[in-house]
Amino acid sequence: MWLNKLFADSEVDFAARCRTRMKIGIAVVILGAVTMGMVALWGGEIPTLYLEEACSGEFVGEYYTTLGVALMAAGGAMVLKNLRWLKHPELMRKREVAETDERNRLLGLRCWAYTGYAMFFVLYLGILAGGFISVTVMVVLQVVLVVYVLMLLLFRVLLSRCM
Amino acid sequence: MRNRIQELRKERKIRQEDLADAVGVTRQTIISLENGKYNASLQLAYRIARYFEKQIEDIFLFEEE
Repeated sequence: MWLNKLFADSEVDFAARCRTRMKIGIAVVILGAVTMGMVALWGGEIPTLYLEEACSGEFVGEYYTTLGVALMAAGGAMVLKNLRWLKHPELMRKREVAETDERNRLLGLRCWAYTGYAMFFVLYLGILAGGFISVTVMVVLQVVLVVYVLMLLLFRVLLSRCM
Repeated sequence: MRNRIQELRKERKIRQEDLADAVGVTRQTIISLENGKYNASLQLAYRIARYFEKQIEDIFLFEEE
């Protein structure tokens, strides 16, 4: 199963992984360009259906432009980094050891787990406080929490099938 | 779980970095193993045992509480 290739302790062809990451990086650059193109298409002002009083279409346009620039920069950095590793075998070997090191992987998994627990707690606090601020905020946070729980269950089922 | 990695490494005058390179992990992992902060997976334990030409149970000592 493809999930196994992402997370389980299967053997990794690191050069192939770098090439895949470069493709993802290019896709991210394109996504950033599309985001910026979308803003340009509407002349910098996005026609948002419901705008809060404090915001303007211009603000949303600037927001998307920043997002597009950030995506393009992140995608470009991803491509360059992986290209550098592919061109320098010694650097690639060091990076492969760092990425496949079992302690580093465990640290990564634990970081995600603890972040997940913290996220649940923060969302719950947000929902509690949200009722005193705005019903919209409360409902949005509740939806995020429900989606989060559903994703957790989905991955639990998928991973238990391949481990 | 205790281990004799540091003892065996010093006995053979091997640097942490060289051991890490040989078994395909970072030097930090070797440091954590030697300090007892991290327990090796079965795969890594096997690679370390093979590197020192010993049995796993000669290096990793299971202590029942």
